[in-house]
Amino acid sequence: MAGFLQQVVEGLGAGAIYAGLALALVLIYQFTGIVNFAQGELAMFSTYLAWQLTAAGLPFWLALVVTLVVSFAGGMLIERVIIRPVEGAPELTVVIVTVGLFIFVNAAAGWIWSFTIKDFPNPFPEGAFRAGGVSVGYSTLGILGVVAVVMGLLYLLFQHTKIGLGMRAVASSPQSARLVGIRVGWTLALGWGLAATVGAVSGVLVAPLLFLDPNLMGGVLIYAFAAATLGGFDSPLGAVVGGLVVGVAETLAGAYVGFIGSDLKIGVPLVIILGVLLLRPQGLFGRAVVERV
Amino acid sequence: MSELVVTDLVAGYGDAKVLHGLSLTVGPGEICAILGPNGAGKTTLLRALSGMVRGRGSVRLGGTELTGRSPDAIARRGVAHVPEGRGTFMPLTVEENLRLGAYVRRGRTGVEADLDRIYTYFPALKPRLRQAAGSLSGGEQQMLAIGRALMLRPRLLLLDEPSLGLAPLVTRELFRIVRAINEQERTTVVVVEQNAHLALGIAQQAHVLETGRIVLSGTAERIRADEQVAQSYLGYRV
Ligand SMILES: Nc1ncnc2c1ncn2[C@@H]1O[C@H](COP(=O)(O)OP(=O)(O)O)[C@@H](O)[C@H]1O
Ligand SMILES: [Mg+2]
Repeated sequence: MAGFLQQVVEGLGAGAIYAGLALALVLIYQFTGIVNFAQGELAMFSTYLAWQLTAAGLPFWLALVVTLVVSFAGGMLIERVIIRPVEGAPELTVVIVTVGLFIFVNAAAGWIWSFTIKDFPNPFPEGAFRAGGVSVGYSTLGILGVVAVVMGLLYLLFQHTKIGLGMRAVASSPQSARLVGIRVGWTLALGWGLAATVGAVSGVLVAPLLFLDPNLMGGVLIYAFAAATLGGFDSPLGAVVGGLVVGVAETLAGAYVGFIGSDLKIGVPLVIILGVLLLRPQGLFGRAVVERV
Repeated sequence: MSELVVTDLVAGYGDAKVLHGLSLTVGPGEICAILGPNGAGKTTLLRALSGMVRGRGSVRLGGTELTGRSPDAIARRGVAHVPEGRGTFMPLTVEENLRLGAYVRRGRTGVEADLDRIYTYFPALKPRLRQAAGSLSGGEQQMLAIGRALMLRPRLLLLDEPSLGLAPLVTRELFRIVRAINEQERTTVVVVEQNAHLALGIAQQAHVLETGRIVLSGTAERIRADEQVAQSYLGYRV
């Protein structure tokens, strides 16, 4: 039993990271209907920025704050400069633009920081909290705590601020949002900025567990896709729940399903994506798309 | 002086022109009815007034040129457009829909009082404040849409077929309220309606549109009284 619980705890820790990146994906999808394939790479780039700042001697938390601010501005800028021109273009065009952005950001990081791996400082203390035969690493607790805080802040933003209300209005109907005087273009940019910030958090959380290299987020992105698909691409809460479920499912499958082990674990998110698309395409928390005529 | 002055307005979608040089004026505090058959360009006219479609020519509100401005800029100048289909924010609550109507107003002063004012016009909305707007009936959604528009404290209220899809009793009630709003707030109103009888009942001026041109203008009374007009353009006998 303790062994099982231990696996669940590990799964939750991994899942919180997927949840973070899934949240970033959902933030953009909600407003624009765009699946941003470059989300993971943007997070990786932000993580390099944080690394560069700490390497230059900045204290970790200060480096983090600077990174988040720069990521926010960068996200907005990308929307204004790269996405805006293809707004309203066929879906495939937009997909290709975000895939292009993926490749570009990846190459740029390699060019600036080289492809050799780097050690990323762990902001959380070593060691673990033990209870009843289960040990919970402080870093797992820290990751779960950070994702909970991010979720809480987003909730406050969306439910209790005027800007948040405007953002939800745009997500619901851009045309009507325009008619009540909301600057829809800026709201979309704001969504990209927020997504880049949340993505940066997930990158900074995952980097100490793996090593920092330009392909840091490639694997995480697949899990994040599974999380967002499971939770529903238009539901931030769904993204978080989906992330945690995917994390636990992956860990349990690796531990208990003989032939999967650690090599085939990457199959778990793919199975989840397929299963959800077949059984409940809108995800657990998503709204089914009904066309009203 | 007229509140709304439209001069030689040309508008359409892409290369397809729908309005071919349309001119009209509406006095301050007046209700102006736009009548005409399906496809005449009534909706397009309202869209051009609120900036949803680009137009050439001139649209002036209280002396300010609106042509070429974006919809959000026009909303900030006091134009509230209740679009065809009502434009409800379905997943948001009724109260959130109403508050969005006041989005561009500065400060919170007056917003709470205006919410109360909306509930006196539309008491049916009050018990449904926390409900998703998408769960309202058609009539309630139309009330919500008008309430949302009023939250802007508009200079000019544009209504696109408020009666569409509603039961006759609900429609009559709705038009009575629009009239009351116009009288109490002195809001200038342009209302597009298929139901000519109802629209002429509350309007002072009316224009009949056909294929993007005004084919007839006059006081509502005159147009209502003109039997031949009624038959040829409005499709009913008085
Ligand atoms: N979004 C649109 N794109 C292209 N053509 C349109 C669009 N909306 C309306 N039209 C065309 O413009 C003309 C006028 O339509 P509309 O303004 O909706 O008329 P009405 O409201 O009087 O029924 C019609 O021929 C219609 O087919
Ligand atoms: Mg119409």
